Parts: sequence; structure tokens; C-alpha cells
Amino acid sequence: MSACKEDDPRIDGIQSRIRVVPNFPKPGIMFQDITTLLLDPKAFKDTIDLFVERYKSKNITIVAGIEARGFIFGPPIALAIGAKFVPLRKPKKLPGKVFREEYDLEYGSDCLEMHVGAVESGECALVVDDLIATGGTLCAAMNLLERAGAEVVECACVIEIPDLKGRDRLKGKPLFVLVESQ
Amino acid sequence: MAVIPCPLVLKISGAKIVPQSNYHSGNSVKIKLLPNTETPIAIRKTPPIHGRANTPRPLQPIRFLHMAAQNVDSTDDRISRISSSIRVIPDFPKPGIMFQDITTLLLDPKAFKDTIDLFVERYKDQNINVVAGIEARGFIFGPPIALAIGAKFVPMRKPKKLPGEVISEEYSLEYGTDIMEMHVGAVQAGERALVVDDLIATGGTLSAAIRLLERVGVDVVECACVIELPELKGRNRLGDKPLFVLVT
Repeated sequence: MSACKEDDPRIDGIQSRIRVVPNFPKPGIMFQDITTLLLDPKAFKDTIDLFVERYKSKNITIVAGIEARGFIFGPPIALAIGAKFVPLRKPKKLPGKVFREEYDLEYGSDCLEMHVGAVESGECALVVDDLIATGGTLCAAMNLLERAGAEVVECACVIEIPDLKGRDRLKGKPLFVLVESQ
Repeated sequence: MAVIPCPLVLKISGAKIVPQSNYHSGNSVKIKLLPNTETPIAIRKTPPIHGRANTPRPLQPIRFLHMAAQNVDSTDDRISRISSSIRVIPDFPKPGIMFQDITTLLLDPKAFKDTIDLFVERYKDQNINVVAGIEARGFIFGPPIALAIGAKFVPMRKPKKLPGEVISEEYSLEYGTDIMEMHVGAVQAGERALVVDDLIATGGTLSAAIRLLERVGVDVVECACVIELPELKGRNRLGDKPLFVLVT
């Protein structure tokens, strides 16, 4: 199941503020740069508002944000809906006891960690990142939350790259995005 | 304009008001009884500074924030809750370091909201155009402040994370150096900026951020952190820039 807010008038402004940087981080990749969105206070606020409007009545108690750009979008959403914010981090950044989830990259693998005790069994969680590409990171994030007993309600991203079919890697969970990019 | 001297100390129900000696013109303190309460609350009124009508008035230390609304907890109560929500982890990332973990603060929605509110109350009338947040924990506190005060958010990042053209600043670590980067064109000369991070230790990272912003002509108004480790004297590495913190 998927959702995309094509019909909302705020989307155009948001989409137009995203800058595409060719050949970053390596040749052939068209990098979707959200930093230019953050330079437009109205567009940034609209981005957050679109997520908050969707989630505020859904009894979500956890917003999990993926390091580092998920840390930009997750906390404002968490604050507005009264949820906890849980950072999901690269290895060795979180100081306490952690759950650790390994996931595949194009070449090699990486890890995502979450604090033990951040999430209680039965809580409803949202996973937030700026962008979904292959879905590997989001899938690892969902696994972490589920291992701690939370139910992942939805994944929320500003941008989706549909050709990479990331939404098929979300274990049947829904994905909500604001903007689709080629 | 006549200078109206301030009473030296006013103690009202545990709230302490101390005169601000660096105001250029007079200030007055009125005692106003709020409806439905018997507790008088002091409200500070500052007249506009002659000839500087468009300049934000000087920032005051945190204890002078007046209670704007009846349904907002006192500053002291909010700070107390924030402080007690921060977890200390011994020997991280290495033996001897008592790590100040703000992730537990983020698990308390009221404490997290209060943290942001305390910064927003301080900066919302200061004509701040830019909030610069230092990767990665500055990304948690900076954007909510930026959104609330209508400022741009500018991420200050480790090397090779920002796509496009950047400017770089090297800074010292305990052993070796690191590099901080900012996008070219993110900020304009003359803009007023706040630099935000979760904690100030030695001040190396914050001073690198200040240098990056000043290199492009930005006026860094203040650095804002949740926590300060005063024994590390980071405040002294910020040049002439003031530092505002909630918890030491």
C-alpha cells in the first residue's frame, strides 16, 4: 500500500526546493539534496505539517529517525504529535546498551543501532528518513523496532525513488512519501 | 530619557529577579497580580532603546525569562525536569569520561518540548535568520528551534556528507584534527545566526562552526547548547560569542 500527497498544494513548493546534485556520492547517482528545502522556512514547515496532519490522531507513541537526515525531520514530527523521539544510529554512537541490526549495502554491509529500553512492547512507531532508495536502511530500522516489541505503523519519507522499489522491502508495511523522484 | 533604577533584588514565591546592569536605558519592574492567583509575578518591561528601534534588545541570562503564560511551567521547573531526564553513562566513549546522554530526554515528550520552548522563548524576538546545527545531535535540537522562530536550518557536517560545493574548516581534537563543512550559498553575509549543539565540552566543534559562518560574513549572535561541561572551559574558545545553556 502506498500513499503520496500529489494533490496537496504545498507539495509543489516542497518539490521545487529539493536540489538534485549529479554524480554524488559517485558517478551516475543523481543525489536528492534536501538541505535547500531546509533553507526555505515555509517549505520546511509545510513538510512537517503534512506528516503531522497524517499522524497526529494515530496514537503513535514513537517516532524513530534514521541518522543523520532522519534526525532533521523526525524530532519536529515527534514534538508536534507528542511522541518520543528515538534516534537510530550508526554503530558505536549510542552510549548505552543497544540492539544492533546488520543490513546489506550495494557493496558490503552496515549496521544500525537502537538503545535498549527506548521502546516498550506494544508501542506504535513511525520510522522517518529524508529519502527511501533501496529500502535497506528502513528495513533494518523496522527490524530494530519490532525486536523491541513495537508495532511499526508506517514509514514516512520526504522523497521516494520508485525505480529502486524500496517500498517492496518494507515487509508489507505501508510507506508514505511527499515527493517521488526519477 | 530618565533612568529608572531597578530594585536590587525581588524575591517572589521563589522567583528571583536581579537587575540587568548593562541596559542602556532605564528599565522598570512592575508587579502584577494575575487573575485567579494570589501569587504576584514580576513582569519586566524594557522601553525601546533610543535610536535603536530595530535592534533586538540585549539577550539576558536564562533566569530573566519572564513567565509569559499561566499554563507554562516556571523556567526552574522545566530546567529541573530536563536536567533529571539526561542520563549519565560512565566510561563512554572511553574510560574516565562521564557521557551526558540526551537520548533519554528525547524519550520524555514534555521535557523535549520544554527544552525547545526555552530556546524559542529566548530567540524568537531576536531576528535570527539562521539556525546552524552541528551533526548529528545538533540536528535534533536545531530544526525545531528554526521552525518555531521562522529561521533557515543549516546543517554543519562531517566531511563528504554534503553534496555540492562546500567550505571546510579544520579543528583540533584531543588527538588529531577533524573537518567541518557547510554548503556554499546556504547563508548570506549580514544574516544573524545561532549555532546549536546538544553539548559544549572543549568548544572545538562550536568554534569551528563559528569560524565557518564568519568566513562568509554571518553575524553569529549566540551559541546554544542543552548542556555545558564548565570544567572543560569551552566557553573561552568561543571568542567574543556568548553561550547559552540550560544545564551545567
